[in-house]
Amino acid sequence: MTDLWPLVEPLLARIERPARYIDSEFGVRRDPDAPYRAALLYPDTYELGMANQALAILYDLLNSAEGVAAERVYVPWKDMSAAMRAAGVPLFTLESVAPVRECDLLGITLPYELTYTNICEALDLAGLPLYATARGEDDPLVIAGGPCAFNPEPVADFFDAILIGEGEEAALDIVAVHRRAKADGLTRAAMLDALATVPGVYVPSLYEPATVDGPARPRPGSTAPAIVEKRVVSDLGAFRTPPCPIVPFMDVVHDRANVEVLRGCTRGCRFCQAGMVYRPVRERDADAIVRDALGQLRCTGQEELSLTSLSTTDHSQIEEVLRRLTAALRGRAVSIGLPSLRVDTFGISMARLVGEGKKGGLTFAPEAGTQRLRDVVNKNVSEDDLLDTARAAFGEGWRRLKLYFMIGLPTETDDDVRGIGELVVRVLEVARETVPPAQRGGIKIGVSVSTFVPKAHTPFQWEGQLTLEQVRERQRVLRECVPRKGVDLHWHDAEVSFLEGGLARGGRELARVIERVWRSGGMFDAWTEEFSLPRWLDAFAAEGIDPVALASSPRDPAAPLPWDHISSGVSRAYLVKERARAFAGETTPDCSFENCTACGVCPGLGVDIVLGGASRG
Amino acid sequence: MADTTFRLRVTYGKTGRLRFLAHLEVLHACERSVRRAGLEYAVTQGFSPRMKVAFGPALPVGTEGRAESYDLWLTRFVHPATALEALRGASPERLTPVGASYISEREPSLAAAKTLARYEVVVEGPDMGPDRLAEALDGVVARGSLELVHKGKDKVYDLELCLPEGTQATGEIGRAVAHFTVRMGPWGSLRPEALVSEALRSSGLTGAVTYVTRIGLRSEEESS
Repeated sequence: MTDLWPLVEPLLARIERPARYIDSEFGVRRDPDAPYRAALLYPDTYELGMANQALAILYDLLNSAEGVAAERVYVPWKDMSAAMRAAGVPLFTLESVAPVRECDLLGITLPYELTYTNICEALDLAGLPLYATARGEDDPLVIAGGPCAFNPEPVADFFDAILIGEGEEAALDIVAVHRRAKADGLTRAAMLDALATVPGVYVPSLYEPATVDGPARPRPGSTAPAIVEKRVVSDLGAFRTPPCPIVPFMDVVHDRANVEVLRGCTRGCRFCQAGMVYRPVRERDADAIVRDALGQLRCTGQEELSLTSLSTTDHSQIEEVLRRLTAALRGRAVSIGLPSLRVDTFGISMARLVGEGKKGGLTFAPEAGTQRLRDVVNKNVSEDDLLDTARAAFGEGWRRLKLYFMIGLPTETDDDVRGIGELVVRVLEVARETVPPAQRGGIKIGVSVSTFVPKAHTPFQWEGQLTLEQVRERQRVLRECVPRKGVDLHWHDAEVSFLEGGLARGGRELARVIERVWRSGGMFDAWTEEFSLPRWLDAFAAEGIDPVALASSPRDPAAPLPWDHISSGVSRAYLVKERARAFAGETTPDCSFENCTACGVCPGLGVDIVLGGASRG
Repeated sequence: MADTTFRLRVTYGKTGRLRFLAHLEVLHACERSVRRAGLEYAVTQGFSPRMKVAFGPALPVGTEGRAESYDLWLTRFVHPATALEALRGASPERLTPVGASYISEREPSLAAAKTLARYEVVVEGPDMGPDRLAEALDGVVARGSLELVHKGKDKVYDLELCLPEGTQATGEIGRAVAHFTVRMGPWGSLRPEALVSEALRSSGLTGAVTYVTRIGLRSEEESS
């Protein structure tokens, strides 16, 4: 492998945050002699990518596999990429400072639609053709995965293959097939045919492209499956939490030890794509969680621990886990955080356990301001739940609460929007009743309001998104009804949400739009100061695509969708039924605690809900 | 904080590509090394308890350090060699501790005590040589003061005060090395690459600073 460090080093004195590019962190894995080399890329900067748990899991997994070395790649910031281009330095892996194009495999995670232009930047900087069909026999296999892979079509043309679902088993299968293909001297085309036989792998070139009018279909003569089913790990306990993840030098987001306590969520919130595509719920058992958490803290030296999942307080053993961890960590100035708190499972006992150490803020997501709308989205949280939770939190010493809401949910009216303000007023009242008078000045309620974006594989995937004008009007209503004193009100940029909506539900035709935006200088769109809607609108217009229609037009539930060839395991019939229940204001219970709701995942994929480390059977 | 604490002074290097770390990044990394080493460290009191550790003068981004230090308060006595071994095993490769010894609580802080910093600055260029570099440096020193702009602020340095041991140059044609000691004080810290760059500029020499290393820190009382 070529060592580019002598060319990279002189660039570092001239750019900001050189720590992004220098590797050498504690926990780095290196195997210079490994015959198979994988580059794992997060399509944004180092400080965002280091927080990605999926890549941390794959890094540990692949580096532990015989004959495989996995190295990290992040998208260089603009100053560095300009310096690299001027000096003729291609995109490199951090560990070996080797050109990405010399690797066997380039794996790119798809965490968020607004990182898509960075994919073009990374491929170009690596010296690889943007489009998969233009790649040569010696180019690395370029493969995607992650949450946005559930509608991969907007970026499908950039990838040789796309993994749908979980990577623990599939990544090793893919590497094995690829290594065998290379050893057998297969052509790239034959290798892609072989990859298409790996469950969960979608090879876009073997399909007629999906468009906004319908899914991708296998080309005539292809043996690729008509439907690609997601990969799911039935026994999470069979895969270890990374025991010693890399400890960054520079400030990165979520800079802490992370232990995944469970995967999946069956609360059934109807807007939530993660809740649909990561089913079923699979908990790690308490012993494993405590062992892995203490082990990771010991190995990394981190001062903060996060117990991660979609809904951590839903874990059937969470109180036991917290009790054991707080006892073990007492007096060590290490705090424990629970990033995803359910309003209805955070009571006084939980508040006491979480609050033993350093108290940061607590975040809850009521999502809607009225019970009617919460029932429509199946949030299954009452106002009493929220007020009791607030009382518990303020009573145990917290002074800052953050509440997440959404506007633009199906059937929403101005009364529902005003309901957000009324709910915040009642939370403030509870805070003032509970907190001693001398401390009331410290009460702060953060209200963060995002715009609903319909996502693939959810009961609301057919709904139209609010137009920009509609969003701004509802934000105006919100501004008038949310109190100012003691409240910080923020909302997500309406333009960003609008674009997210268009990219989330588009077809293969969007690849040219993404390319145009990148060529006109668009990158790091997820960064507020870098985002430019006019650039995107120009690109859509040049390609003859109406983004407003794409994002805001409702779709016929009977009509095909661009992602119908991708299966999350949840049946279309279930999504249609849930949509109907939403409009009737009927709620659906959580099948992890109550009866099966027949979504199709468990019988269809041969998996089961796992609670406390044991299959529910 | 525990009633009895033990003040351990740890000396470490910041070398190779890690010279590009900022001071705060180094601080954070050292704290984590302490945790990984399993040393029983004291914790500050208050709303947000933190490890009780104090660092020496900041080392700028791009500057290597051979003998930087921090003071760590332990709640349990550990033999310095044992502590050093534990820290070495828990540290990133190029941020490795090289020494550890206990010092008295009465000793002043590192920031207050270690006011003299010894530097080597490598200058490369086709016509660069130690004699020319020495002459260029003498020319700047002879001016008596140096005005520099740093982060938008004007600073004037008294060179007799800031360079108590004068300047020297060694090396060969094509690669010369400047050596000098900088005194730090309420006026700040004269950046070594700024001094050498000014020497090159004012003498019309072609060459560029390619490497800066802080060899060590000492107090006014310690001999060089």
